[in-house]
Amino acid sequence: MNESRFMELMAAYGADLARWPDDVRGDAGAFLEVAPHRVKDVWESERTFDRLLLLERDSPASIALETRIISSAPDRRMVRRGPRVPALWDIPKWAAGGALAASLALGFAVGYAEPEHPVPPDYAKMLTLSGGGAGSVFLSAMTEKEQ
Amino acid sequence: MRDPDEELVRRVGAGDKRAASELVRRHLPRMVGLGRRMLGDAAEAEDVAQEVFLRVWKHAATWKPGQAKFETWMHRVAMNLCLDRLRRAGRNGGEVSPEFEDGRASATRALDDRQRRERVRDALMLLPERQRAALVLCYYQDRTNIEAAEILGVTVEALESLLSRARRTLKTELAAERADLLSGLEAG
Repeated sequence: MNESRFMELMAAYGADLARWPDDVRGDAGAFLEVAPHRVKDVWESERTFDRLLLLERDSPASIALETRIISSAPDRRMVRRGPRVPALWDIPKWAAGGALAASLALGFAVGYAEPEHPVPPDYAKMLTLSGGGAGSVFLSAMTEKEQ
Repeated sequence: MRDPDEELVRRVGAGDKRAASELVRRHLPRMVGLGRRMLGDAAEAEDVAQEVFLRVWKHAATWKPGQAKFETWMHRVAMNLCLDRLRRAGRNGGEVSPEFEDGRASATRALDDRQRRERVRDALMLLPERQRAALVLCYYQDRTNIEAAEILGVTVEALESLLSRARRTLKTELAAERADLLSGLEAG
């Protein structure tokens, strides 16, 4: 550290060595200890200027702002947890194709199977017993027509 | 060195409201301070701070520690929001109070701390935005030179140049009342 570099750094970072880059702070402190008076005079003047700048301090943030921001933070209920159920487009194509073929085959098999005891279409009676309302009137008319 | 916000951010990402409150209390004053010094307007500074935290909520769950410190990232977001606002509004800084103009022209009267603070604040607003940004980050936000350079997207050498010019400009701006401004300080 020489006088020229010291003055250069002081012009940028001010007199407080704590603000200076880590890698030069030690050398700068050692240099200042033995620096000529002209350097120490400039350092004192910069120190006063630093104090003036730092009068402009942070004031506490308003409670209203703090509350508003905290209330906008996500909470557990809004954050999805656990593994996501894979969507259709996440499934590999071969697996999707297989599933489609299997469901078609099952659909055909069920469709062609004839029930052993067909259920009589007495829907109107069932609806009337359970209080079917307008639906039962409609279905009664349908049943009478069929008979 | 471990990021002091890492654990808090992880909890915020998991929807922990208490962690969110702590993060807000830890960083809100600095975010508002940065906005106020860059924009010269308290309401705009609050808007910027709120916007910064909305982005924190959005990115907390996917934040990956190990790159920049979380606080540095927050400063970068805040600084970019301020610079965007300044550019959109086509202004370099905020309004300088009429008292400042009067004060520069005359006045050899005793100044209290509040008046000194206002003069310094007004002088800051007269700086070009890059110089002001460098000074705000290094002096008021306590960023290291490397962090400040990273936030501004410049080299450390360029940052030092901005800082030197900012201090020089401020000294010139405050030169007329330097004696008044400094008298109480030197005594104290």
